[in-house]
Amino acid sequence: METATPATSSVVAASSSPAAASPDGRDGTGQPTGAVQPTLRISDLHTVFRSRGLTVAAVRGVDLDLHPGEITVLLGESGSGKSVTAKSVMRLYGANASFSGAVELEGRDLLSLPPKEMLAVRGAEIAMVPQDPTAALDPLRRIGAQLVEVLRQHKVVPNKAAAQARALELLDQVGIPDPKRVYRSFPHELSGGMRQRAVIAIAVSCDPKVLIADEPTTALDVTVQAQILDLFQRLIAELHSAVLLVTHDVGVAEEVGDRVGVMYAGRIVEFGPAAEVLNTPRHPYTRALLDSIPTPGVERGRLRSIVGQPPVSGEIPAGCAFGLRCPHAFARCRSVDATLISVGERRQAACHLLEEEVSA
Amino acid sequence: MIRFLLRRIGLAVPTLLGVSIVIFVTIRIVPGDPVASLLGPTGSAEARERLTKDLGLDAPIPVQYVKWLGNVVQGDLGRSIAKQTDALPYVWEAFRNTLTLSIFAALVAILGGIALGVLAATRRGRVASGFSTAVSLFSISAPQYSVGLILIVYLSAGRGWFPSGGMRNPTGDSGFGDLLNHLWLPGISAALVPLGIIARMVRSSMLDALSADFVESLRARGIPEWKVRWHAFHNALPSVLTIAGLQVGYLLGGVIFVEIVFSWPGLGLVVFQSISQRDLPVIQAGVLVSALAFVVINLIVDALHGLMDPRIRR
Amino acid sequence: MTVVHQITDPTRPGAVEDRPDEVPAEPDVAPAATKSIKRRRLGWPARIAGSVCALFFLAAVAAPLLTPFGPLEGDRSQRLLPFFSGGHLLGTDGQGRDVLSRIIWGARPSLLTGLIPVFVAGLVGTVLGLVAGLGTRRINSIVMRTLDVFYAFPAVLLAIAIAAALGSGTSNAIIALSVILIPPIARLAESEVARIKSADFMEAARVSGAGWLSISIRHVLPNAAPAIVVYCTALVGLSIVYAAGLGFLGLGVAPPNAEWGLMVNDLRQYTFSAPQISLVPAVVILIASVAFNVFGDGLRDLLDVRAEGK
Ligand SMILES: Nc1ncnc2c1ncn2[C@@H]1O[C@H](COP(=O)(O)OP(=O)(O)OP(=O)(O)O)[C@@H](O)[C@H]1O
Ligand SMILES: [Mg+2]
Repeated sequence: METATPATSSVVAASSSPAAASPDGRDGTGQPTGAVQPTLRISDLHTVFRSRGLTVAAVRGVDLDLHPGEITVLLGESGSGKSVTAKSVMRLYGANASFSGAVELEGRDLLSLPPKEMLAVRGAEIAMVPQDPTAALDPLRRIGAQLVEVLRQHKVVPNKAAAQARALELLDQVGIPDPKRVYRSFPHELSGGMRQRAVIAIAVSCDPKVLIADEPTTALDVTVQAQILDLFQRLIAELHSAVLLVTHDVGVAEEVGDRVGVMYAGRIVEFGPAAEVLNTPRHPYTRALLDSIPTPGVERGRLRSIVGQPPVSGEIPAGCAFGLRCPHAFARCRSVDATLISVGERRQAACHLLEEEVSA
Repeated sequence: MIRFLLRRIGLAVPTLLGVSIVIFVTIRIVPGDPVASLLGPTGSAEARERLTKDLGLDAPIPVQYVKWLGNVVQGDLGRSIAKQTDALPYVWEAFRNTLTLSIFAALVAILGGIALGVLAATRRGRVASGFSTAVSLFSISAPQYSVGLILIVYLSAGRGWFPSGGMRNPTGDSGFGDLLNHLWLPGISAALVPLGIIARMVRSSMLDALSADFVESLRARGIPEWKVRWHAFHNALPSVLTIAGLQVGYLLGGVIFVEIVFSWPGLGLVVFQSISQRDLPVIQAGVLVSALAFVVINLIVDALHGLMDPRIRR
Repeated sequence: MTVVHQITDPTRPGAVEDRPDEVPAEPDVAPAATKSIKRRRLGWPARIAGSVCALFFLAAVAAPLLTPFGPLEGDRSQRLLPFFSGGHLLGTDGQGRDVLSRIIWGARPSLLTGLIPVFVAGLVGTVLGLVAGLGTRRINSIVMRTLDVFYAFPAVLLAIAIAAALGSGTSNAIIALSVILIPPIARLAESEVARIKSADFMEAARVSGAGWLSISIRHVLPNAAPAIVVYCTALVGLSIVYAAGLGFLGLGVAPPNAEWGLMVNDLRQYTFSAPQISLVPAVVILIASVAFNVFGDGLRDLLDVRAEGK
């Protein structure tokens, strides 16, 4: 495994900042397992969409490490680029998207992988649980057939009979009470919760190393949400996958997240252990985000809007992207962009205020 | 599924009644006195009265309708004035040939339309899209008689590549190859309009299906693109089928012109001859048989749709 | 894209396909960016098609000025002359009549039997649609179920049956075509009315105590009209083809008058002896059909009635 390249490229963001505390922005931060190689390492990822002369920079330099058995949460307002980050990892975009940076799965750069090899990675090594379970399934195929299709595609089973047996086993594993019936059911015959379980069964069918869940519970009832989250945690403990969980629900982040990255306008503005980031936020945006929840703990609310609008991805202001909405913004914020710096043990934030604090 | 089918068949009954009323009306709107035209100028007053009674024309109109409908249900559609035979068997014989031509044309239209539509939906870029739009627009606009004549002039008359008319070679063997040889030109002429329509429909349904969320999920599962498209196609198929079925039904209308142009011994040719002979019972029988076939085709399409999309099977 | 190719239900999804051509085959293009760009000018195909349509109308109106020969005047010794011979640009037919002159003269009945039914059906269909849309549930279902019956026939066949029953002649062909064009127009009108009825301003109008007649004239009609007019425009090409079809079957204008469909039938006997000439009327109808369809299509794109209605 080649480790030199990602290390250097990931430093760029941190070391370009004069106040960077550690020469390697990563090793000192957010890595409970210390020297263990991350399963997935995202370094300085940029995703730009071009359509009809319009250019949209949806992701603007994201660094993120995912470790086995850990849930890393991406939290942020709608449009902050969470989904694009998640899908860019799998290169799920057509020709109108261009990527730069690196996405390394155990040292292999996925962004430069030939399409054919990428096909073998998707679903087998990196799997995805999309937001809406109804929309994730082919409405005209039985659940069993859809499971078998993936199992056969990635050749995790020797033959069709084995695939069927494995499919039933998987359905049982995700807590479906009547696997045989569900196997023969069409998606529309199942409840939302059951459908999401089936989708999760498909996602984990090939024992993926990385599991990406884009708001897996948003479309579900609150009670079902809790069950699905439990299932999720149980499966991850069993499979030891590295998980990227996208949500805009602070409650979910708090409940299942090991570490949290807060995204704003295509960047991670704060990163660290979930409990710490959510209890003692350092970045003004994180603080505003948490303040916007009506009564923390009582009601697990969606993010309420913060004063002003997030910038449209096409037109990000000069300086700090949050500058125009930030209550603490000062002159420097309007001209110079803030970069992620280490702000305490295992924590990072991108804010000029904190730079001054750290260097003081 | 059986229940679903029975319900659909039940729904077709009022439609058929409506159809019969419309045809009955076309019988009654015939201008002039049918008795006089049957008897000719020499009929006596007594003969007139007897014929009027025989034909049931003295009864009130609803009674006449019920009586007529009773006859129709028993397969009695009146007698051909020109041929002096029962209209229905005569028409039925011709209709079988029409069916042969229509089925062939339907195959051409459905296969060609699907191919063109899928191509248009999966090939990116203005050129391919513009080309397929132009082709389908042209084929939709092309009247069957124009296409038929053009094909005859350029592929048959001058070159002798295909026979210019008829259904079978009177001298040669009358095997399937011969029939197929005779089918190509009329088949294409009749197929062009539905082909264009189906192509458009396939294209837009495919684009819809390809932009559905589950397609992205399939891609995220590492399913190769051709299989993803197959899933999308499968999802587009039910709605395509509905339109295609409707088009096959409309073929029965357009095919009349094709039969005339190619002297295909079908319903169209019979109707055409009957028009000049003012043989109305035959025309009415022809229209009734076509409408019946149309209703049956729609039923079959409905059933297939139910088979293909489990969500609508109720 | 609306080309009306068949008498199908315009309100049914897929019956009239209206998908912008630019939608890419693969996913992930922000739809917002694609939709916001709207063409406000007729594209070049539609402009060319429009000019061709205008030429046809010009030919119909100015036939006596444009033609060197009368439609019926012929010299049997000059029969089946090839193209460009003896002052006959498109040759002569079996009776030695100038084909071009007959085509130009033929534009009159051909366009009229195509246009009048659309016009008549447009009026009747709109009224039926208004009655069904604004009337009680009962009235609505009576009107709409009656119209449904017409969908059980291939439209051409019904037109043939009606025209044959009435007897040949231009006016009977026009009646037959009008009948088969009414149902789709009425359905569209009804669905437009239903859409408009649910709009907010209608509630206001109703609260203000306006009668249904005044509501329908002041509010419903102006809002429903664009969609109906565009749909009718798109029907013209089809109607012309059907009209010529009736003529072809001998159900329209009586010979020896010049009418395109009739000419197709008349000339097809020379397929072998004078193939080029035999094709002239067939090709003219084809051109007219394509031109009217492309033009109607462009017009619809321009007004984008459906997109706005949604
Ligand atoms: N395929 C695409 N083409 C062009 N722009 C896109 C595309 N996908 C996303 N974007 C843009 O990228 C930005 C980020 O979108 P993204 O879906 O990542 O937001 P998100 O954080 O997931 O929000 P949400 O919580 O609403 O899902 C948005 O401004 C969006 O308009
Ligand atoms: Mg998202």
